[in-house]
Amino acid sequence: MEWEPDSPRPQVELPREPYDRWVSPAGYCQAEFYRDERGYLIRFPSQADFLIEVKSGDGGEFRITGWPTPQCDAKTTLNLYHNAIQPILGNHSGGLFLHGSAVCARVEHHSDGEEGAVAFLGLSRSGKTTLAGSFAQAGHPFLTEDVIDLARSDGRYLLQPKRSKLRLFADSARHLLGRDTEFENDDIKQDVDAGAGLPFADGAKPLRQIYVLGTDLRADLSIRQFSLQEALSVLLPNAFILDVEDKASLRGHFGRLADLSQDIPCYALDFMRDYSELPRVRKAVLGNLANG
Amino acid sequence: MQLSDRFAVSADVVAREVGGEMVLLDLSSGQYFGLDPVGGRIWELLAEGPRELAELCDSVEAEFEAPRDRIEADLLALAKQLKDQDLIVAA
Repeated sequence: MEWEPDSPRPQVELPREPYDRWVSPAGYCQAEFYRDERGYLIRFPSQADFLIEVKSGDGGEFRITGWPTPQCDAKTTLNLYHNAIQPILGNHSGGLFLHGSAVCARVEHHSDGEEGAVAFLGLSRSGKTTLAGSFAQAGHPFLTEDVIDLARSDGRYLLQPKRSKLRLFADSARHLLGRDTEFENDDIKQDVDAGAGLPFADGAKPLRQIYVLGTDLRADLSIRQFSLQEALSVLLPNAFILDVEDKASLRGHFGRLADLSQDIPCYALDFMRDYSELPRVRKAVLGNLANG
Repeated sequence: MQLSDRFAVSADVVAREVGGEMVLLDLSSGQYFGLDPVGGRIWELLAEGPRELAELCDSVEAEFEAPRDRIEADLLALAKQLKDQDLIVAA
């Protein structure tokens, strides 16, 4: 049964200080993490509270209750559930979830001739979703727009398809789907469903490469492979952590990311954030994939 | 700091060899650090149990080709850096 949020309620001041915060590069608080006698409370300011109750004796099972604020719609709460809460709990339970988008790309030279996945990591608003949409528009179906869910199988990392939606700002949506694309509000991201113009992948694909989008929005197009140590250091901040004080969990998480950094090539990808540049970026990534 | 000083790795640090170098993550601060192959070997020895710096010098001298006085100077410098970052503790 699909998870649903509870009735809206205002966010009252909590009696204790958060033990962790997510802070955006611009300095505003995106999420606060509190301890609760039942488990954890994760607050997304002005958006929603999520209570994570840890079921005793069930080996890492959780009961999740989410309350949107009165000014937050159900769709936003669901996005927080899928794009933050689920990956946070997935990593806490021994999974491997990263913040990023991913697309399918056929790799002709691989002996199995199988389509592979290419993942794009980066800070919020760094262009991950638009880049994934650009690949989809060019015939490379997207697998996910915000959460990279990896499962190890036979020495590979299978990247699971997530929701068949891209969350886009109006200008990106109009670039990808046409200038007459209708949007309710041009100032916030909205869900755009997959379709003929933006195909969605139909199954898990083996991860071939990871690209980390640079922060210089006016940089020239370049791709540089990270050393294995650099790769580990750039993967760490792109993973979701529930409890920064749970050292046993962090040890396991560090080990899984260290394995990933050694098994999958990881690259720095810089490019000018200009829609006209996207075809060149796609060509460069696909060329690098073919040569990899 | 002296060669007779004894140290152990901090319980708040996890380490993994990645591409021939040791990468350390301080779980308390979230900071990570890299050690070259010699530093990584020293970390491995410390991770086995508390050691005097002089013992570590003996091991390095036996495994790597370098003059003793240089090994001692480099090890003292490394130990100071690791201790300043709370990656190792007196034992």
